[in-house]
Amino acid sequence: MIMADGKQSVVDTVLSQSNDVRLETNQIENEELIELDEGNLLAVNENKIDTKNFKVKNEDILLALTRDATQVLFNSLWKLPVEQKDGAFLITLPESQTWLPREKHVPKKRPPTKWEEYAKTKGILNKKKSRMIWDEQSQEYKPRWGYKRANDATKDWLIEVPDNADPYEDQYEKRKTAKRERVAKNELQRLRNVARAQKSKVPGLGLTPTEKPSKDHLSKALAVAHKSTASIGKFTDRLPKEKPSKFTGKKRKFEPSIGNFGSEKEKQLKMLDIVSKKVPTINTTKAANRILRQDEEQRAQEKKSKKTPKKLKGRKATLGLGKPGRQGGGNKKTRGKRKR
Amino acid sequence: MGRKREILDDEKPKKGPGRKTKKQPAPSFKELFGDEAGKKKLSHKQQQRKKKREEKQAEKAVVGAKRKAKPQKNVQPSKKPKMLFDSDGEDDDGENLRSSDSEEDEQMQDEFSEDDVLSENGEVEEDIVEPSRSKKSKQQKKQAQVTASQKGKKLKENVKKKKSKVVEPESEEEEENDSSDEDEKDEDGDSSDEEMDVEKASKKLLKKQQQDETLAQDELMLNIKSQEKFTLPSGQEIEKEDILWQWISHIRHVLSDFAERREEGRPRKEYMKQLCRDLCARFNYNEFLMEKLLKLFPNEIMDFLEANEYPRPVTIRTNTLKTRRRDLGPMLIDRGVNVEPMARWSGVGLTVFDTKVPLGATPEYLAGHYMLQGGASFLPVMALAPQERERVLDMCAAPGGKSTYIAALMKNTGLLWSNDANRERCKAIVSNLHRLGVINSLVTNYDGRAMKKVFHSFDRVLLDAPCSGTGVISKDEAVKVNKDEKDILRCSHLQKELLLSAIDCCNANSKSGGYIVYSTCSILEHRFHPSLRLTRRFYPHTHNLDGFFVAKLQKFSNKIPGEENKNEKAEENGETAKSDESGSKGKKTPTDEVAKAEGREPNQKSQSEKEQKSANLQALSNISDICKLLKQTISYYAALFFVSTTNNLQEILASNLSSIFLLNAQIFKSPGVETSV
Amino acid sequence: MRPLTQEETNTFFEKLSKYIGENIKLLIDRQDGSYCFRLHKDRVYYMSEDQLKIGSSAAGDTILSIGSCFGKFTKSGKFHLLITALDYLAPYAKHKVWLKSSAEQQFLYGHHIMKSGLGRLTEDTEQYQGVIVYNMNDLPLGFGVAAKSTQACRNCDPMTIVVFHQADTGQYIRDEETLT
Repeated sequence: MIMADGKQSVVDTVLSQSNDVRLETNQIENEELIELDEGNLLAVNENKIDTKNFKVKNEDILLALTRDATQVLFNSLWKLPVEQKDGAFLITLPESQTWLPREKHVPKKRPPTKWEEYAKTKGILNKKKSRMIWDEQSQEYKPRWGYKRANDATKDWLIEVPDNADPYEDQYEKRKTAKRERVAKNELQRLRNVARAQKSKVPGLGLTPTEKPSKDHLSKALAVAHKSTASIGKFTDRLPKEKPSKFTGKKRKFEPSIGNFGSEKEKQLKMLDIVSKKVPTINTTKAANRILRQDEEQRAQEKKSKKTPKKLKGRKATLGLGKPGRQGGGNKKTRGKRKR
Repeated sequence: MGRKREILDDEKPKKGPGRKTKKQPAPSFKELFGDEAGKKKLSHKQQQRKKKREEKQAEKAVVGAKRKAKPQKNVQPSKKPKMLFDSDGEDDDGENLRSSDSEEDEQMQDEFSEDDVLSENGEVEEDIVEPSRSKKSKQQKKQAQVTASQKGKKLKENVKKKKSKVVEPESEEEEENDSSDEDEKDEDGDSSDEEMDVEKASKKLLKKQQQDETLAQDELMLNIKSQEKFTLPSGQEIEKEDILWQWISHIRHVLSDFAERREEGRPRKEYMKQLCRDLCARFNYNEFLMEKLLKLFPNEIMDFLEANEYPRPVTIRTNTLKTRRRDLGPMLIDRGVNVEPMARWSGVGLTVFDTKVPLGATPEYLAGHYMLQGGASFLPVMALAPQERERVLDMCAAPGGKSTYIAALMKNTGLLWSNDANRERCKAIVSNLHRLGVINSLVTNYDGRAMKKVFHSFDRVLLDAPCSGTGVISKDEAVKVNKDEKDILRCSHLQKELLLSAIDCCNANSKSGGYIVYSTCSILEHRFHPSLRLTRRFYPHTHNLDGFFVAKLQKFSNKIPGEENKNEKAEENGETAKSDESGSKGKKTPTDEVAKAEGREPNQKSQSEKEQKSANLQALSNISDICKLLKQTISYYAALFFVSTTNNLQEILASNLSSIFLLNAQIFKSPGVETSV
Repeated sequence: MRPLTQEETNTFFEKLSKYIGENIKLLIDRQDGSYCFRLHKDRVYYMSEDQLKIGSSAAGDTILSIGSCFGKFTKSGKFHLLITALDYLAPYAKHKVWLKSSAEQQFLYGHHIMKSGLGRLTEDTEQYQGVIVYNMNDLPLGFGVAAKSTQACRNCDPMTIVVFHQADTGQYIRDEETLT
């Protein structure tokens, strides 16, 4: 609804009184090309614009175009039925014609569940199953699952006791619990999928009942049971010679910060001894180096003392003795090992 | 979907994605309907500017009207700042007798151009305004000429006078050229070669007079203009900096002898306000700060502001833990750093004159041989004078300059607890302490106000309170504009709280200590009160250091009497900071007073304890009353008392902390400074 | 703040002994007072007993540093010596390297030391031995690990790396944020 403060006649009188040239008329030249959508109060002026002058005075041109469109829009608005309510004139707008873009973003796709991921990798496709299936018993179509489902196993009026089964076992109850378990498992998996989607930690199953609990399983369950009291197991009774469970977390324990400084010092000194003992007393590389160097020096002295014949010189070189930088032969891997 | 393609697309490329266009407001149709059509709406700022402009124009109009009215009322030459004119006091005749050279000199002196110079010859105005009087003066001049020259030539001169009245080419020349004298001489030579010097002079005078007359009309206008400059101008008129500069000096000149030089009907306040505004414009301060500074330095304001424009000399402190100054100096000189020992009062400071290498990245710096530190920040540490094997707290330590100095003075013994409230800045402390090889430190990140709950038996406490930074404007220009009243108040409140905490942290029973040094790099907050005379202030312009305030306090007792009655009292004795720069002078004066103070101390103590009791009897609701009471009864050297430490009282206390300062001061002579001087 | 566990002490001493050998003894057993190592926020601090006692009155999360920091334990339990330990390493150093003034700046910017920048080095330095780096004025600049033994150094070409950089005093500026 929009307020209209006067009728057409009032507008006309006002216009006639006004001196402004631009306000002289409420008639527009190219009215046909102006598309209106009163519902959105939208007017679209498709008139051509003066491209030559546009660059120079685009403001004026735009204003003129806008003015025309607005004028047409208001003209048409005033043609709509006007009602009076509480001294105000009201126009009921017609339904809008143009679609506006949505306000909120498009919802994101749900992240795939674990099964969906698995099915995708395996190439498993969903088979479309019909919602209703034929129920032989009642001779009519019934939902595949849910309330009043077809072939409801829990609703059998008679169940055959299987061979080797306990004759006193309630087969109805058995089926019901099995169903409940399935539902619970389903729910758990759903929750895990949700957790996965939100990238939060997937809750562990904890201690689930198993067919054949192992020894570890038992001691774990015991450790959990010990602690599952209001006082976190502080007052739980223990067996006389019960070993501390290996499944409970260990608490770190440190020396007091301000304790016995003397003993601390002694401990550290002792440890220092051990550390220093670890280092081999004889450094093999060092020793080897020293020997090599001694050799070198010796040879240098020999060289000085007597001139070696040319032949010998050449032989020495081939022996590799003249290259102190490279010790030992062989390839890179074996070199170090051989040294030791 | 809903939007149709815009027709204008071809002409005007769309800018940006849809968001921006959506943001744009709907077109207004104001022009179509209202009478205001065609008028552009001004932005808020434009409106403000316009308003101001209008105001100023109005003001100007008023002033102009005044000016116009004045010359008619006042026959006397207008009152102008004396400084402008060398010859203001002289008689008109005397003035005229001077050669045009003197005029030109003045032109050189004042950049006010010829207007001023001409207007200065008050007679010009008179001539126009009051013909009768001008005639008189002319006659006087003529008489003078008659006496100077011969009567026979009088007529001739008169003719000449008329001539120049008509032609008057030299007048402009004279204003412009320094060589006008020569021109005149030539002319003189043409007319009569054998005229005597005196005659020449009289002729010259005459000519000048004529010129003056002919120029009178223009000058009247010019005068008005120039006079307007003398009146307090509106901001628009001030364009050039040098004009601003002159303005400032003029106003200061007037203010220096206000009764004599002021313009009638203008109160001092107005001058001050204008001065403040001019200084703000010249030095880019905000008005609040400038007002404060003007109050603080009514006379030295210019020195202070100028000092703030230039950085203080770069100083470095030798780290005595690792090296000695005499070793460091040559080492730095080798690196291409020109250093010299700083001042006599510091044994570790070096002043850097110029450097070829970045001072903060030399291997010596990285090895911790020195610290870049302003000279002013030595002072609080020297005042603190930490001793070996003491526990010292540096409450607001970042970035660790003072802390490392303390550690150096303690020779790495005892404990230095450096605290700062800002965790990020604490990292700088750690880095600096390690770099300088300080091993007795503990760096924590507490709020200083919470320190007393952590540990409170320190021998000495240094509180370098966070402040407005008005002492270090040369370092940080932003201080000029970003401080206002609120900042200052908030700062001082925090400072008070911190000081209380510092006092609480200190242990009065310590054998060697019990001292608190309070320092800030601000110069604003501290009022000059006689009881604070022993504290030290350092200003950029007087000491060539950053602005600093240093106060040393001694704590007398840890006792908080009547704690059970929730009346906690800590006894404090304000003390002084010393570390005077002029070593010997600063040393001697306190010594006498120390003796005095020590002699009286016990009496005061007992006396003041009595006071305490009586104060306890009263309701402690109004602590300021107690402070007043103490003030009245305790004599000149009254020990300072104040109630402290209960949480609920703390606030009241903080507000009364100023009175703590006021209450008392006792002289203290720091051993640390003695040794260093 | 807590004392180091046996394991931690072991790794710490092993690392430290690479630089100062058995001189660690002088740090633990001091004549001028009782000093100790304490672990605070994975960092090892060396402080006097008095310092520790007073310092422990401050809340753990507010303490940024106490005494001098030797280094830190990594998450995987290794120990890294930090430049802040230099004051203790330099006087007790067993193996030293002196840098030419031309290579000084390079090292202070965190580069390894090449043969060309090597002034001299201690005789009998083994490969992977911790060495303290000095400039020619005997100013300690940092420390590192010998990439080559003294013997091997003699014959290598000038562009080979002789000492691997580990820490230098330039880190006081470069890594101010991470020193604590």
